[in-house]
Amino acid sequence: MLSLLAAADTSTVDAGKAIALALGIGLGSLGAGIGIGNIFGSMIQAVARQPELRGELQGIQWLGFALTEAVVFYGLIGGLLAYVLV
Amino acid sequence: MRRALALAGLLAVVLPAVAAAAEESEEFDPSAEWTLHEWIPIHLGPIDMSINKAVAYLLLGTAVSIVIGIVLMRWRLGHTPGRRQTVGEAIYEMAQTQVAEQGLPTKAIPLWFPYVASLMIFIWVVNMLGFIPLPLSDEKVDIGGVELPTLAVFAATSTLSVTLALALMTCVFTHIEGIRANGVMRYLQSWIPDVPKAMLPMIIPLEILGQFMRLISLSVRLYANMLAGHMLILTFIGLIFLTNWLVFPLSVTAATVFYLFEVLIVVSIQAYIFAALSAIYIGSAIEPEH
Repeated sequence: MLSLLAAADTSTVDAGKAIALALGIGLGSLGAGIGIGNIFGSMIQAVARQPELRGELQGIQWLGFALTEAVVFYGLIGGLLAYVLV
Repeated sequence: MRRALALAGLLAVVLPAVAAAAEESEEFDPSAEWTLHEWIPIHLGPIDMSINKAVAYLLLGTAVSIVIGIVLMRWRLGHTPGRRQTVGEAIYEMAQTQVAEQGLPTKAIPLWFPYVASLMIFIWVVNMLGFIPLPLSDEKVDIGGVELPTLAVFAATSTLSVTLALALMTCVFTHIEGIRANGVMRYLQSWIPDVPKAMLPMIIPLEILGQFMRLISLSVRLYANMLAGHMLILTFIGLIFLTNWLVFPLSVTAATVFYLFEVLIVVSIQAYIFAALSAIYIGSAIEPEH
C-alpha cells in the first residue's frame, strides 16, 4: 500500500498517485512550515521584549505550535485516504 | 551524556528488531505495523472486542499510568520532598497551572481537574510506550527453539479508534457540563454568535458543523501525529530493504533524528495539547460568555 518507491515503477497509475500524494503533502507542509516559523519568531520577539513573560507565553506557544503542525497531518490523512480509495 | 548513551543503547536494541521483523517477510511494508491480528478473539454479537496489539498496549498503558500516579503522587509523601516526590509535584503543578487553570473556570476545577490531568498522563504514557521497543508484536522470532515475539514499536494512539474514543469522551462531557451549568436552551443559544439576523441561516449550520469538527480535529491531531512519527521512522529504516543496503548510514541517521524529535518533543506536546484543549472545550461550555 505505502511502498511508494516500489509503486512508482509498477504502473503509471500508481506513479501518478505517488506523485500526487507527495505533492499534496509537500504543499501542505509549506503552509504549516510558514505558520510554525511565525509562531516561534513571534515568541522570540516577545521574550526579547519582556523576558519575564516567558513562562506564561510558553503554554500559548506550544498550543499554537501543535495546532499549526496538525494541519500537515490533516493533509497527510486526506492524501492517504485518496491514495488508498482511488 | 549518560542519557545520550541510554538513548543510543535503546536505539541499538530497537533498530535491529525492526530490521529482523522486516527481513522475515518477503517485501517490507511499513503499514504492516497497523494490521491488528486477533490474539484472544471476543465477539459480542456484531461488536468486536478481541484483544489485539492495540488493546494490549492500552492495558499496559493504563497499568503504567496508575503506577506512575500512585508512586509519584500518593506513596510516602513527606515535607522535604525527595527526587521522586519532586517529579510528582512538577507533573501535578504542570497539570494544574498549564492545563486546568488555562481552560477551566475556577468553580469547575475541583470536578474536572482529575479528568484532564489523567488524560494528560495517560496519553503521555501510551505515546511514550509507543517508542519503547516491547515484545508485543505479531512477528515471531526463534531464539533457542522458543518462539518469542520480536521487539517492536507501536503506539496505541496511532490507531484512530483509540483517539476517537478519547475525543468522544471529551465531547460528551463538554455537552453534559454545558447543559448542566446553563440549561438546555441557554446552552444551545450560546453556540450562536452575535451577528445580524440575515446571516443566521449561514452561521448556524457552520456552528453546528464546528462542534463536530472539534471532535474530528481533536482525534485526528493525536492519531496522525503518532502515525506519521512511526511511519517516518519505519520508512527511513525500510529504505534499506526497499532500495540498497548502501543507504544504511543515511536511513539510520534520519530515523534516529526523527526518533529523538518524536520522543523529546511530540510525545509530550500532544499529551499536553489534548488535555489543554479538553479543558478549554469543557471550560467554554460551562462559561460560554468567556
